Amino acid sequence: MTGFLDMYSEKDTFLHRLDPRVKLLAVVLISVLAFILAELLYLVVLLCFILLLLVLARSSYGKAFFALKFVIRFMILITMLWPLFDRSGTPILFSVGPLDITEPAVWRGATSAVRVGCFATVWYILMFTTSQRDLVRALVKLGLRFDYGLALAISFRFIPTFGLTIESIKDAQRARALELDKGSILRRSRNYVSILVPTIVYALRTADTLALTLQSRAYGAFSSRTYLREIRMRASDYIALTVVVLILLLPALAKYIYGVQI
Amino acid sequence: MIFLRDAKFTYESGVEALKGVTLVIDEGEYLAVVGGNGSGKTTLAKHLNGLLRPTGGQVLVMGVQASTRTVAELARIVGYVFQNPDHQLFCRTVYDEVSFGPANIGLEEQEVRRRADRAIEVMNLSDVRERPPLSLTLGLRRRVSIASVIAMEPQVLVLDEPTTGLDAREADELMVIIRKLNDEGTTIVLITHEMKLVAEHANRVVVMMDGRIVLDSDTRGAFSDLGLLKRSKLLPPPVTQLAHRLSQIGVSNDILTPQELVFELTRGDDP
Repeated sequence: MTGFLDMYSEKDTFLHRLDPRVKLLAVVLISVLAFILAELLYLVVLLCFILLLLVLARSSYGKAFFALKFVIRFMILITMLWPLFDRSGTPILFSVGPLDITEPAVWRGATSAVRVGCFATVWYILMFTTSQRDLVRALVKLGLRFDYGLALAISFRFIPTFGLTIESIKDAQRARALELDKGSILRRSRNYVSILVPTIVYALRTADTLALTLQSRAYGAFSSRTYLREIRMRASDYIALTVVVLILLLPALAKYIYGVQI
Repeated sequence: MIFLRDAKFTYESGVEALKGVTLVIDEGEYLAVVGGNGSGKTTLAKHLNGLLRPTGGQVLVMGVQASTRTVAELARIVGYVFQNPDHQLFCRTVYDEVSFGPANIGLEEQEVRRRADRAIEVMNLSDVRERPPLSLTLGLRRRVSIASVIAMEPQVLVLDEPTTGLDAREADELMVIIRKLNDEGTTIVLITHEMKLVAEHANRVVVMMDGRIVLDSDTRGAFSDLGLLKRSKLLPPPVTQLAHRLSQIGVSNDILTPQELVFELTRGDDP
């Protein structure tokens, strides 16, 4: 379960150095672009561009494979299912019983699959190259209240710890001959109480301790706080920002102002 | 009773926690498994009741391959008390908590009651029998968690750091009870890095380092090699260290308790 949480890896690439706000904006704009583009060819180009970024982010093969596995499965599923539900257009490629598989539907399915692929993969780049700390910092800088930012950071931080504790609780109850997947539904749900109660107690105790720890480190003592590491836009960040905006703006202009089919 | 042959275990993260461990645990033993943090002692212990399955080698419990049995089946033979009692307490009363295990192994109601009563008596919990376990002090919570395991009447009892967080008196009381269980025939496997407990209670010591057993001897033998203990990140009890310092004047270097040292110093020179 930690697979999705420890995607960030410490590297030194331009994507890692980029201001997290610019990255966040870039990801949003590229996602929008994936919805503006309608032609399969251009979407494939966009997907290749995103994959290129993924390579440039020098993400480890293991993590990239883990992440892309889900995307690829999803893309295959869309390509296969789309023609089954969309029966418009001609020519009919072949018929299976009452089902007519038409050529335009197959293309539409593939287009949607690639679009979803772009949309999902681009967010992975953000997760691969931005530490949770930086992400929260960017959100706070963009106007999120610090309290919420901190709460977000803490919940990210505690998910793996929680996972480990729940595993330990499960083991402790299994050592008392608890069999979670045996018996009637009633029995099973009662069995889960023996996991749930220690988990909740642990969560409450942790929250209590955490609150004391924060207070003892003067959290909330002043309404305005300073930050150890300020994020500041550098020249390269502005360049990247311009490039990203153009990447969205040019195709959007071409499509909506000049009516180019893309 | 329990036989590990070249047992290996690698966690999913790739950490090789056991690198081939061979160990025989006989009936009635009081065995201490010691080693620094990360030496593999808890991983080893979790193999004894099937919570972990060896990725190489074999674990036999009562002559049967542990890997062919479920944890619930093995729990009747090997009881395992976790370090943190709060990871298992969830019932409304101590009595309910203690009877959870026996009920899980499908005993008759009468037998469940008999075993729960006995476990409560053994662990001196009669006064708090109807109290909610989560509201008790840590010392009592630890005792409830042990009672809830011994109520299944396992032949082997594995205890992971049972004295963590207890004051000297609570720890002593607990160790006396465990001693008594051992005298009555329960095999004890004590996982700890507190060498004072080991010196005073165990009959046999297994020292682990980097996923391997580096020493397996009777307790006296284990304390004669201070260098090995140091490499294993263990600190022998002060009285043993003192005895080693005094070895130039003829004190033997396998002293385990203050009484022994007093005896050694006062007995005079003639044998």
